[in-house]
Amino acid sequence: MSPEKKARLTEAAAQVVLQASREGRLTTQEDVLEALAAGGSFHQTEGQADADDIRQTPTEEAAAAALAGVLAGHPGIASFQGLSGETLYHAPDLLSRTFARILDRKDSPLLLMAEEIRTNSRDYPRPVPVELFEAPPFDLAPEEIGHVLQAMATDPDYQDISFTTAPTGAVYLFSTLHLERGYAAFLALRAESLSANP
Amino acid sequence: MTRTDGGFAGKVLRVDLSTGKTSTQDTREKYGAVLGGTGLGYQVLWEEVPPGTGPFDLGNKLIFATGVLAGTSVPCNGRTAITTIFPSCWPKALVGSGHMGGQFAAKLKYAGYDAVIVEGRAERPVWLFIRDGRVELRDASRLWGSGIHRATLEISQEMGADCCVAAIGQAGEKLAPLATVVNSLSHSAGGVGGVMGAKNLKAIGVQGSGGLRIAGDKEQWERLIKFHLSILGANNQHVVPSFPTPQSEYYNPGSRWVGQPGKRWGAADPPVEITGSIHDMNRISYRTNSAAFFLGEQAWKHTVRGNGCTACPIRCHTTLKVPAMATKYGTREIAQGTCIALNFGQFFFPTLPGGPKGQAALEACMLGMDMADDMGIWSNYGQIQRDFIKLAKDGVFKAKLGSAEYASIPWDKWRAGDPAFLQDLIPRIGERRGELGLVLSEGSGGPFGHWGISEETWEADHGTLYWKMGHPKHHANEDDGQCGVIINTQYNRDAQCHSHTNFVRNGLPLAEQKRLAGELWGSPDSVDSPGHYTRMNKHKAQRARWALVRKELHDCLGVCNWMGPWVASPLKERGYRGDNSLESRLYSLATGHTLDREGLDRVGMRVFTLHRALTMRDMGVLDMRAKHDLVPRWVYEDSSGAQPFTPGTIRMDRDDMALAMEMFYETMGWDKATGAPTGETYDRLGLAEVGKGMAARQLVPETRHEP
Repeated sequence: MSPEKKARLTEAAAQVVLQASREGRLTTQEDVLEALAAGGSFHQTEGQADADDIRQTPTEEAAAAALAGVLAGHPGIASFQGLSGETLYHAPDLLSRTFARILDRKDSPLLLMAEEIRTNSRDYPRPVPVELFEAPPFDLAPEEIGHVLQAMATDPDYQDISFTTAPTGAVYLFSTLHLERGYAAFLALRAESLSANP
Repeated sequence: MTRTDGGFAGKVLRVDLSTGKTSTQDTREKYGAVLGGTGLGYQVLWEEVPPGTGPFDLGNKLIFATGVLAGTSVPCNGRTAITTIFPSCWPKALVGSGHMGGQFAAKLKYAGYDAVIVEGRAERPVWLFIRDGRVELRDASRLWGSGIHRATLEISQEMGADCCVAAIGQAGEKLAPLATVVNSLSHSAGGVGGVMGAKNLKAIGVQGSGGLRIAGDKEQWERLIKFHLSILGANNQHVVPSFPTPQSEYYNPGSRWVGQPGKRWGAADPPVEITGSIHDMNRISYRTNSAAFFLGEQAWKHTVRGNGCTACPIRCHTTLKVPAMATKYGTREIAQGTCIALNFGQFFFPTLPGGPKGQAALEACMLGMDMADDMGIWSNYGQIQRDFIKLAKDGVFKAKLGSAEYASIPWDKWRAGDPAFLQDLIPRIGERRGELGLVLSEGSGGPFGHWGISEETWEADHGTLYWKMGHPKHHANEDDGQCGVIINTQYNRDAQCHSHTNFVRNGLPLAEQKRLAGELWGSPDSVDSPGHYTRMNKHKAQRARWALVRKELHDCLGVCNWMGPWVASPLKERGYRGDNSLESRLYSLATGHTLDREGLDRVGMRVFTLHRALTMRDMGVLDMRAKHDLVPRWVYEDSSGAQPFTPGTIRMDRDDMALAMEMFYETMGWDKATGAPTGETYDRLGLAEVGKGMAARQLVPETRHEP
């Protein structure tokens, strides 16, 4: 593939990812390949050959590798391996890695909640109110959150996930890998009192 | 940038209420070295108000002062500082200032004035009419006794709809130390209303048809304003949303950035739905909804709009419409406010049905905002409510009030959390009616002075949040360890400093905060995670100095320290950096007088040191460390027994705080033993005459003569 062709192809593929990110969606390699094949712009004039360069490769693996190669060089596109094992693309300026991970985990509520709790405990650090998971983009029903927490309690992979109850009755979740229980309780109380400490 | 006459309106108006005479002075010539705002107020008090003058004495002066950036297009510029001998400072009134936003500052500058100095006392109630160069004292007899709403309305009808009125209510008329001056419905300056009342000055109405000149290149100015807008977050410069958004790497459930697509201003007609990207500059005003932050999701359906100050896109004064107010209480359906003023009503109750975000809390807030901003009552940053609860729970009211007065108070409503209780309580305070009204309206000094309650009782009780001199803590060790404590030792009222807390609460992860802190204050160790404090270091002292100096600078420039400084931003592409030189860049372009960051900070140091000198002069004290820079006992205790520097406590260590104060004094150029500015510091800051005056009083360390 000539450098000019590669540049055009990269841009076309990037546009697919950018548009999806703009709409709050992750992009798989298959999404990109389908869009390139179906899209009008690469079936016009010289662009057609670029798409064919990929489509005519002998295996899906090779096509994916070729696509990965062209997208890897784009400064506005990032990728990561999703829970399914697939490579997922997003444009971080439009769809951050944080949000992308949440989207990827939405079908695995245990992992979704656990990783969010762990990240918050490790990075900020803070416990998170259980109601966080009822709101977008998590959108878990209270009953589902209850089932997730019950499942975590007996699953050896989630024994670090714990909770503390503030004097207001609000429940906050944290990871014992990153927060001591006493400090988590302090931070929960602090979070509950922020609106009384203007 | 050749001309140097931008930013300032040019004149200071002086009004002698005793004689009715008015005069003007050239702002830059007379007060240019202190910029404006509090600096101008401190200079007037230093030069014209002798030590020992009481807040309501004829000789006290009241200085309404804006700043260079007020009335320009700089975001968050609507501030007016009102400086005086501050009535609620206990046991002796000392220099202090109340601060209000709204439209007053801009209108005053468009009328041609950077400040109004009010002196003397009118023989009968008057209000001050300012329309450009026309200044008159007009009869306010018919307004005396009325609330701020009516006074504002009547003066507005007389002047025209484009005026701005700053008025006092019944509390100010009756010389309540906890009285406000209010403009633009809800923008109040605490503690200074009684001084207006003592001068028989009901209100100032101002109308200006002029403009302000920006001295620098206009395109540069526009670019800088757009840059400033680009680094704004939400209220208190919280730079991440409270919820995950596609565009955000970070979020923080405690952030005041609560607005997002899908939320609605439900009481607007028609309702306004937030659409688009909340990160866009054209969506800044939708990020903040103070009512939703404080009162929860229910507030959205009652939200009419965000209201706020001149040129401020944050709009932190949320306007609410609650029809139940008319039907249940016979009051107005609409009220607006933010922060502690928004919560004025609900904080009087230890508990409310439905909790702090329930319907009763909403109704209590509506009643409190409406009544407090009409009668002109100041909450003393929430202390009046905490004092009320403690005095009631400890049985002090029952013991100290006469039995008839005690029985006349509807305690059953208070215990039940019925907001209607406020309709009985608030007028008692505003009108200073009965012993309860008289005592509570004086601030914490009221119970101390009238009922013989020891200040130590309050200092020992963490629940009071009492700090010293009649006032509470204001973002202290609960937010920011040693920095918070240092900052709270420095003023003669609650500290009102947000430079430090806006940074530690900005919502970024600790590693990002530490990275920024390393760039700003020389070490990542200058900031800790709240409640997981490390020992004092010199970088924390530098940060405390920075916080105080920037607060004072903002008060002098006319910009909002509730929003600034802007050293962090929502911009990932900037590594979440804001701009630590923003104030000096704005000042330089506005005035045409170039000052770099260090240069402008030096002016802030000058002004803050002048405040220090005024305090020392009026206290007659050299050893500020022992007599003024006090820390309440509760700071050094933790009911759980947790030791300082362990995770999960805000308990501080006495030896470490002693070291902290020394490091702070050193970085300020103050004597480590006494906390008094040295003669060299006065000279270096351009305060040589002040230094001489202090030396003559033996209040400079080098000239101290021990008896």
